[in-house]
Amino acid sequence: MTEAILAARHVGKSFASKHVLDDISARVGAGSVVGVLGKNGAGKTTLLEIALGFSPASSGSVALWGHESASLPSAVKGRIGYVPQQDELVPLLTGTQQIALNAALHKRWDHELIARLVREWEVPLDRRIAALSGGERQKISVLLALGHRPDLLVLDEPLASLDPIARRQFLGQLLEITADQGRAVIFSSHIVSDLERVANEVWILREGRMAFEGELDALKESVVRLHLSARDKFPERLGIAHTLHEEVDGNTASVSVSGWSADAAAQLISRLGVAIEVEPLDLEDIFLEMHR
Amino acid sequence: MFTLKSNSGIPIYRQLVEQVRRMVASGQLAPGAALPSVRDLALKHTVHPMTISKAYSQLEAEGLLERNRGKPMTVAEPRRSQTGLAPRLRQIEPQVDALVLAAKQLQLSEAEIAKLLKKIWEEES
Repeated sequence: MTEAILAARHVGKSFASKHVLDDISARVGAGSVVGVLGKNGAGKTTLLEIALGFSPASSGSVALWGHESASLPSAVKGRIGYVPQQDELVPLLTGTQQIALNAALHKRWDHELIARLVREWEVPLDRRIAALSGGERQKISVLLALGHRPDLLVLDEPLASLDPIARRQFLGQLLEITADQGRAVIFSSHIVSDLERVANEVWILREGRMAFEGELDALKESVVRLHLSARDKFPERLGIAHTLHEEVDGNTASVSVSGWSADAAAQLISRLGVAIEVEPLDLEDIFLEMHR
Repeated sequence: MFTLKSNSGIPIYRQLVEQVRRMVASGQLAPGAALPSVRDLALKHTVHPMTISKAYSQLEAEGLLERNRGKPMTVAEPRRSQTGLAPRLRQIEPQVDALVLAAKQLQLSEAEIAKLLKKIWEEES
């Protein structure tokens, strides 16, 4: 196994007496695009901030390329690009001035890449940041995070104010970044269909816990909705293993399960003597089923 | 060339595998035909390159595609991909799976199905 870019071990975080994160472990390898999903308040931003060393964990730790994130050497910090949920642009500067300011802070700065993205994403640079729309500000924030060609790019809700065309261009850019060996992207988004398109791995946070961490394909293959029908009335509770949610109505029932397999189907048929139709679920449905 | 839907319960790599299989079976992709590179296809559809390479690897393992050093993957000659016993069995497995499932739902035994299969087999030949 190659060295992990990010390894989180049993991370916990509490503010006062409230647990915000509880026993989070996760790993990001080179070439991964990780999509982070969770309801508002599930702990996404807190986890990303701890991972990058902006905020201390109450327990556990995160390592980036083997260095504790709470005390990263500056050379390692220089390999990270971060787009926070609330941008940190200077309102009085123009886009051009803001980019020049950030470029001056980095030893390596890819002027060519930035010029190309400014053209492709139609980023207005001559106006003051204060006069720009949310989407325009978001584009500049992303540009600033890409300029030093980070090996780990972390984006907290980067898509919210972008139009569909800008979003697609942006997602393509994420893929170009990870097509280079040794880099990785972690991004959180409520726009599940975007995340589903480009991510090869997902983290689903639920009330501060990691409800799922792994390959998106594996998740889709294991979480399905079953439509059952039998000659006789079903009992009130079906007791199917790994049930997320079930609705029983006389002799029909629909049950969403995780951990589905051909073996599970055979067992179910022999136990309940039912007809089964298996409905595959997209990521949004899976997410909703996990929260019912 | 391909239609890949991200908001589907069917993983994208499986959509691609099924489409290539069908296009090879129907002759739309003839033996020797080149497939788009992993990178090109990934960027065109804005999906992760691993998704595409996973599909190509599976199709290679099935003997449907051939990997060529430094060149695009191509559709394999049919005699290599279809005459071996294992690949042909693999092709019919989904139908057999469905048959077994239906038989169990109808509470028919393996012997009863085997008898029916034999009868139909003999009628056909």
